[in-house]
Amino acid sequence: MERTFDSVAKLHNIEKSYTNFTLSLPELCIPKGFSTALIGENGAGKTTLLKILTGLNDEYSGDIEYFEGLREKHLIIDRIGYTSSTNYFNPSWKLENISEFSPYIYDSFNSDTFYKILNETDMINVKQSISQMSDGMKMKTMIAATLARKTEFLIMDEPASPLDPIMREKLCDLIRAYIRQGNGSNSVLFSTHNISDMENVTDYAIFMADGMVVEQGFVEDLKEKYYLIKGEPSHAKILKEFLIGFTESPYNCQGLCLIDDLDKLAGMDVTVETPTLNQISVGIMKGGAK
Amino acid sequence: MKIQQNSNIPIYQQIATSFQEDILSGKLKQGEFLPSIRGLAKDLRISVITTMKAYEELECQGLVTAMQGKGYYVNAQDSEMLREQHLRKMEDHLQDALVAAKIAGITPDEFIETVKLLIMDMK
Repeated sequence: MERTFDSVAKLHNIEKSYTNFTLSLPELCIPKGFSTALIGENGAGKTTLLKILTGLNDEYSGDIEYFEGLREKHLIIDRIGYTSSTNYFNPSWKLENISEFSPYIYDSFNSDTFYKILNETDMINVKQSISQMSDGMKMKTMIAATLARKTEFLIMDEPASPLDPIMREKLCDLIRAYIRQGNGSNSVLFSTHNISDMENVTDYAIFMADGMVVEQGFVEDLKEKYYLIKGEPSHAKILKEFLIGFTESPYNCQGLCLIDDLDKLAGMDVTVETPTLNQISVGIMKGGAK
Repeated sequence: MKIQQNSNIPIYQQIATSFQEDILSGKLKQGEFLPSIRGLAKDLRISVITTMKAYEELECQGLVTAMQGKGYYVNAQDSEMLREQHLRKMEDHLQDALVAAKIAGITPDEFIETVKLLIMDMK
């Protein structure tokens, strides 16, 4: 069943070229009120897409419509929060400087919320300047500063990567709280290449490879579109024909099978499982969607 | 509500079953609203779409109705349907019992005797 949804951002004919890379997105909608994961290998174009969406990269062709009808940058920018994969604050600043200066840039910046989130992420007693912080601390600072604003669309580039397991869990809680708070109007888009940590906070998944979207859908729908098949090595030759992201070892072989292809497995001694989002990702990243 | 992450039963199914039991047992009463989709997702630490799918499942079973902008409320449960639900549950379990009996080579007469004994025990 295909679900219909409202979009927080609608991209149309987006093209962006570098010397060795082209991002090409004929049509892409980011669902409103949900948390969307952007999944792909390094170099797939995730960061380029996120920077285009935030407005940081405006040298592209094509059209983006935000919040159902808005295109003017100055109307959009206040409603979007962004955390980069690398620190974007002045490296000599300390937390108190961020709290001091951010209200001048963003009307809705709330220092109390900023310190509340710093407290929740064990950052409250951090005295050093940003340049002396670890990558994890820099990420937590960006997350706290972004969530201290009133926004409706959160764009996060690899937010989980520099965080330890406890903080990844906390990040998921913060994302869910943000979605909850909006009651259907707040949306999140984050990129990741390690989806297993974020699986329980992902509603919609967009898979990218070589600058293109190769698969997308609500997670629960994808889990009904693909099956995880495991079989004996003796079947490898036949299975290889139509399994996606096929792998084999001397003891077994496995891959993803489209639900429509399930008939082709008739008579074979294989196990059929519902894949996790991580297993779907690995299959698609290895073999490309069909 | 207990959610098992690594069980063979999909998470949405586990949530649906839990609410189903609460509705059929009368713990959740007619007209009562289920928790909001995004609120439940936050509290159970699962994704919104999983919660949504669980609620859609309950709607399919006719246990709840979606009200636009307000959420899902519990339908009136007529006793006939309740009986039907329990009957189906009983049949499912008996089916399992029959499979086990067949594997163990228990004759139909022995099976019926066992059921009779169990009924006596319950009295």
